[in-house]
Amino acid sequence: MKKKEIIGGVLILTIITALSGYLLAQVYKTTKPAIEKQKKIEEEKVNRGIFPDGVEFIEKEENGVKYFSVLNSKKEEIGKIFTTSSLGYGGYIKIKVGIDKNGKIKGIKILQHNETPGLGAKITEDKFLSQFKGKTAEELYLKKDKSEGRIDAITGATISSRAVTDGVRKLLEKINKKEVRSEN
Amino acid sequence: MKIDFKNFIKGIWRENPIFYLMLGLCPLLAVSGSVRDSLGMGIAVIFVLTGSNFTVSLIRKFVPSHVRIPVFIVVIATFVTITDYSLAAISPQIHRNLGVYLPLIVVNCIILGRAEAYASKNNIINSILDGLGVGIGFTIAIFIISLIRELLGNGTIMGHQIMGANYTPFLIMIMPPGAFLVIGFLVAIKQGIEKRGKKC
Amino acid sequence: MLNQANLGLIFLSAFLVNNILLIRFLGLCSFFGISTQVKASTGMGIAVIFVTVMATSLSWAVYNYLLLPFHLEYLRTVTFILTIASFVQFEEIIIRKKLPTLYKAFGIYLPLITTNCAILACAFLGIDYKLSFIQNLVFSIGISSGYAFVIVLFASIRERLEISPLPEIFKGIPIAFITAGLMSLAFLGFKGLFKL
Repeated sequence: MKKKEIIGGVLILTIITALSGYLLAQVYKTTKPAIEKQKKIEEEKVNRGIFPDGVEFIEKEENGVKYFSVLNSKKEEIGKIFTTSSLGYGGYIKIKVGIDKNGKIKGIKILQHNETPGLGAKITEDKFLSQFKGKTAEELYLKKDKSEGRIDAITGATISSRAVTDGVRKLLEKINKKEVRSEN
Repeated sequence: MKIDFKNFIKGIWRENPIFYLMLGLCPLLAVSGSVRDSLGMGIAVIFVLTGSNFTVSLIRKFVPSHVRIPVFIVVIATFVTITDYSLAAISPQIHRNLGVYLPLIVVNCIILGRAEAYASKNNIINSILDGLGVGIGFTIAIFIISLIRELLGNGTIMGHQIMGANYTPFLIMIMPPGAFLVIGFLVAIKQGIEKRGKKC
Repeated sequence: MLNQANLGLIFLSAFLVNNILLIRFLGLCSFFGISTQVKASTGMGIAVIFVTVMATSLSWAVYNYLLLPFHLEYLRTVTFILTIASFVQFEEIIIRKKLPTLYKAFGIYLPLITTNCAILACAFLGIDYKLSFIQNLVFSIGISSGYAFVIVLFASIRERLEISPLPEIFKGIPIAFITAGLMSLAFLGFKGLFKL
């Protein structure tokens, strides 16, 4: 008696699970294109925020590093957009960095962070981020860290500010080093 | 067929899942820092609860007692996954803000609790109503809590500045401790109200 | 990002900085229910560590070797919860046979672990952070010991609270939440630990 019960139970469970699996496969198929589209729209928005004059953003990969190549209406490359991460106060901060043809920062955007709300979280504000525009690697230090530095830290959020600054600078240094090497 | 409206209302007030039964705490605390996210979570819960109650009630005569819990769980997990992917397609921002707490609705005690306590024993219409009632109750509760937290902690509601520019936000409110404190005080108030009622 | 950190950082982050109970708010249902006594809490804590580590590793394997290669990622919610539930069931049977006294001590808590959000969350997070097997292992140990640590701490506070004078309306749930809130505040202080 008991064995029959168990087999019956397992059978029902298997049928339900199979039905569920089938249903979910359908849902997945239906929503997949919409999800992809949303992702692309979001990425475009961020890219465009950094390079407003960019017309096309093409994903490329060089030496294992992925980036977006920014083209203007004449199909010329006017810059590149990279993603990097830097260890902040509450964890890693994901940053998108736009670099123009002259190796200077075009703009940056914070993608993801775990910093303290009201303090470190202010790194997402334009007031802080706009400081990075047009800077070279030498200028990418907090004013309080180095005299050549041109970045003002957020009051009460030095570690977060420094994390972003250092992260962007290290990326810039890495990229410029590669470009110099490839030119030679 | 009798329509059980009493049960529907019960889910919203008297047996409100959060304030009364203390169930479903995890997503509540995590998401209630923002009114928009809370409403998103509320709608997700309503959808999953109603859907799973409906399904459980539908198949209740075919499911042997000793496998009912795993079966319920699979049903709930299916609805949660549907909600997960649908939300990702409709509003990626809310989906991202809800994060891991969305799939965690699966183990939300509220849903399994309703399936076990009501949907497996009642007809389809009433089960749907039950799901709606409890879901709405949950949403109202999380809305109230998030209203307090976002207003005090950020000065905004749904991102719109409500408090004046000179308002220094009570930052704790939108951080984890704030969630615990707000609920603690709200339940204390509720217990105070109940006590007063008993005295009369 | 977390998968670029070393194992020590992963553990600390899971155990303290992003503590599953006080910062991530997961595993709360059983938390408030069980933490009235230190003994029960210790038992629950140990059970959680055991189940979490094993179930998470199992789920990781299922995801990376079964779901991923066949592009069945969307089945992860269903598969994980089934994996955890079956594992708990399995564990219950074994413990009942081999260690009956331990089984009695756990009581109803063991099957209750299935609906413990903390375990399911741990499995999900390991996948979301794209951790390797070893990283996932350390991560799950961190998460579950963080849970055990907090629940025992909390229980010892609550035992004291039981016998202390409190305003009527605060007795029970309210003071428990307020206490949790204060503990959460303390744990927030660990956030700067990364720069160690």
